[in-house]
Parts: sequence; structure tokens; C-alpha cells
Amino acid sequence: MADPIAVKGLGKDYGKFTALGALDLTIPAGICFGYLGPNGAGKSTTIKILTNLLRPSRGHATLFGIDVQRQPRQALRKVGTVIETPEFYGYLSPLEVLAYAGRLRGMSRTDLAARSETVLKTVKLAGWADKRVETFSKGMKQRLAIAQALLHAPDLLILDEPTSGLDPRGMAEVRDIVKSVKREGRTVFMSSHLLGEVQEVCDSAALIDHGKLLLQGTLDELAKRADTSLFQATFLAPPNPDELAWIGMVEGVKSVNPSGNGVVEIRLTGGPEVQAIVISAIVRSGLQLTAFRPVGTALEQLYLEQIQETAQ
Amino acid sequence: MIAGEDLRQAFVVASYEIRKYLRSRRLLGMMVLLALIIGLILGLPPALGSPYPSTPNAFVGTFAGFTALFAVLCGVLFAADALCSEHEKRTGYFLFPNPVRRETIVLGKLLASLAASWTILLVYYGVASAAALAVTGSLTAEVGLSAAYALAYVTCIVGVAFLLSSVLKGTIAATVLTFFLFTLIFTIIGGLLQVGKVSPWFIPTQAAGIISNVLSAPARGPPEFPTFVPDPATSLLVFAAYFIVSVVVATVMFHRRELKT
Repeated sequence: MADPIAVKGLGKDYGKFTALGALDLTIPAGICFGYLGPNGAGKSTTIKILTNLLRPSRGHATLFGIDVQRQPRQALRKVGTVIETPEFYGYLSPLEVLAYAGRLRGMSRTDLAARSETVLKTVKLAGWADKRVETFSKGMKQRLAIAQALLHAPDLLILDEPTSGLDPRGMAEVRDIVKSVKREGRTVFMSSHLLGEVQEVCDSAALIDHGKLLLQGTLDELAKRADTSLFQATFLAPPNPDELAWIGMVEGVKSVNPSGNGVVEIRLTGGPEVQAIVISAIVRSGLQLTAFRPVGTALEQLYLEQIQETAQ
Repeated sequence: MIAGEDLRQAFVVASYEIRKYLRSRRLLGMMVLLALIIGLILGLPPALGSPYPSTPNAFVGTFAGFTALFAVLCGVLFAADALCSEHEKRTGYFLFPNPVRRETIVLGKLLASLAASWTILLVYYGVASAAALAVTGSLTAEVGLSAAYALAYVTCIVGVAFLLSSVLKGTIAATVLTFFLFTLIFTIIGGLLQVGKVSPWFIPTQAAGIISNVLSAPARGPPEFPTFVPDPATSLLVFAAYFIVSVVVATVMFHRRELKT
């Protein structure tokens, strides 16, 4: 069976501005793939080309082996999408919105009724099933968007910032939905700039910036590439300048920066062995260390490092 | 090429468009306006002590004088925002990623616009015919012809409105331009062409003169302000040409237009 998403040399220009360079990306079946990048990196452009909202300037994209530009109807048949926060026809209720999407997809009445009930319960909109969408908040529209994407139990879910507009509880619920879709063996391709979100639900990720793919791999592979050298040490009492200078001279310490309230940022030059040496030295010195932890996650550090590099 | 699946999907799109007309009260608004005009046409003569026209053609001719305005309003309310609203109101993000061709969406929306517009005009002519029958005791084939010409004219307007809707970015621009194109711009062009001794046979508002002309008695002597009206066959060809060209271009434009907002 063909890969759910295969992109080769995909690019998009707006006049002289290149929104997407020449992207090569293959997403195998059954995984949750995070598509990371800052605003304007080219994430939405990629997703809009994949869903036939934009025409590529070069290259091509296939969904399950079917070219999106040449055969959009066939290519999108097994795909559910949430792109940005879509607007719905205000004069329809969630049930009618789902009926519209379901009837376009040729779903039977019984299947449509059963699935509509299920997905509205999943996104916690069952109590609003008959209310007109025009009265909905952005978060509620986002939930409805997720419901319509799940309606036909798609083999591939393409999500563009799926937690945008949701409160923390809603964000957690969406992450749970994505995890359950993944557990069912379906493929999820989601763009995000929320690294914690990607780390929680995705198996693999790619990092894109200025229309170029910077990195791609499983989260473990990406974590190994990260520069996890910055740590935050918290002391019971703020170290004085002499003590800070002493820490700076411990073997493996590259720099020391106090950031207030007894917190000191320490950059190391090595891996876990160096960490052990430094912690041990600080404790032996009599400084009252209460916490020593890495600053940010490995993915976050990798992201910041890569985005900084492309900015330069 | 439109296949069975496309037709099924087009009817789905059309049914939801008609739901839009009903729930946004556009259809109701047109019906209210229709009732007002009919009320005035039927109520004013007795109120002023004037007799109704004595022949069915003259009686329906009074109604036919407002047909062009109704046709334009139908184009404005049921067609002008049909395509551009999907981009402007971002509902395209919901509709377009479904497995449905853009051509099918255009077809569905077109079917809905034509169904609503034809319904309005058929109700109008139905009431006019019933009133003519009640007052004059007879009806003529010309009344039916006038109704048919009105349907052809509104079809032309809907086609042009779709074209404007496919190329313009905003619903307000598309709506306003559709209205003024058929109430002002075409009329001015037609008038200027006549001043320049050029026959304005290809201007649809001139061709729309057949809706009333078919009900009029042949004029004796030159009219005081002559208005050129092409013969019915030419007029129908003009309507058909505007409709076909507009819808083809609108479909191509809608197919090519990207959802960037």
C-alpha cells in the first residue's frame, strides 16, 4: 500500500517570495507526524497544497499514491482535515454541518447519524448539536472542525494547528483524540508550534523554516541531535559572586549566569558524565543545591538552535 | 465531464444553498417584495378609481414592467455572493478539502440560484396570470412567452453574477457590481451605442425588452423615445451567450482560484 503522504520537490512561490522551497517528505502509515516550524515557515502552505487549496509551483504531492492536483477527489477520499480554524455556514447546526460533509462523501443516512453522534460526543459538542454555528466561539468551531474531520473515520488525519483557539482543557482533549486515532492504527500529520504537544502525541517530526526542511526523524533521533547543555541550578540561597566564579571554574562548566531568586543557568560542555561531575562538585562545596534540571526539552532546544541558525 | 457522482454531489450542494436562502430570509424577503408589488398593481387602480386593463396582454404587461427589476434582484440575492463568499468567509476551508470537484460545487450553486430565481419569477407570473384570468376572463400565449423570456433573462443575469462572484474578492463588490451592471451600466452603454448609431443588440438589458414587447400591441408610428429591442430570437441568443460564456469562465476561475486568506 502506498504511503499516506509522499511529497517530492514540492514548492510554492508567490511572485518572488518562496513560501516553500523543494520539500521531500514521506509519511509512513500508522504514525503521528509532527510538522514543526515558526509562523511563516511554510507549514500551512504544505498542508494547503496537500488538501488542494493551493497549487504547487513545482513538485507534486500524493496521498495514498494518488496525485492531489490531478485527482483531488480520489486523493482526499480517505482524508480528514482541519485547516486553521475553518468557518462554517452560520445558518447550519453542527448536525447539519456533519450531514453536509457526510452526504458529499456519500455516507448512508444510518452511518451518518451514528457517526455524527459519536464524533460530537468525542469533541464534547453533543449538547450543542442542534444550535446554529453562528453563535459558536472560536474554540467551539475548532471542536466542530475536528468532528467533521473524524466523521468518516479517515485513514489519514491532516491537522493544521489543531489546538488553536482552544482552552487548556480543550487542548488536552484534542491531544487525547489524536492519541486515540493513532492507537486505531491511522496516520496523523499535524502542524504545530507547540513543542510539548508534538512531544506528547507524535512519534516522528520534521522541522521546517523559511520553506526549507531542516530536520526530520523520530523524536528519539531528534532528541539525540539536540544540544542539551543548558541547565538550571536552584540554590537555597543565591550564590555570591565568588561562589559563582568558583562554579565557573568547575571542570566541564562553560558559562554561569545568575537569573535571580537563587536560580543560576549553567552551560556545560559535555553529556551526562559532565553533569554528574558538576552536581557532585557543587554539593561537595557546601552550596545548598535544591534542583538541577535541563532548560527546556531536547526538542525545544533543537528547535531553538535550528531556528536561530536559519535566522542567522 | 460530469459523472453521476458529480450530479449527486451537485444536488447536495444545491440543497444546502437553498437552505441558506431560506434561513437567511433572502427567499422570504423576495416573496415579501413580490407581494408588495403585486398588491400595488392590483390595489392601486381600484383605489384611484381607474379600470384594470381590459386585455390579458395589457393586464400582464403592467406586471411585466417590473420583471427586469425582479430578475436583477434575484441575481443579486441568489448568485452574486455564491462563489466569492467561500473565500471571503473562509467556509472554503470546510468545503474544499472534501472529495468534491470545484466544478461540481459551481454546478450545485448554479442549480440552487436558478431554482430560487425561477421560482420567484414563476410565482410572479402565476399570480399575474391568475389575476388576468379573473379580471379579463382569458389568457394568451404571449403571457407564457413573456414568462419564458423572463426566465431566460434571469438565467443570463445569474450567469453573469457567477462570473463576477468568481473574479471579485468580496461579496459586497460582487453584489453591488451585479446590481449596477444590470440597472445602470448596461443601460448607459446601450444608450451611448444608440447615440453613436451602433445597434446595441448584444446588450442584455436591451434584449430584455422582449419581456414587455411580446405583450404590447404593435406601435402605430414612431415612438417618442425609441428604444432598440432586438428580435426575440436574437435576444434569446444574447441571453444564452452571456450565460454560457459567463458560467464557463466562472467555473475555470473558481477551479483555479486558491484559498490563501
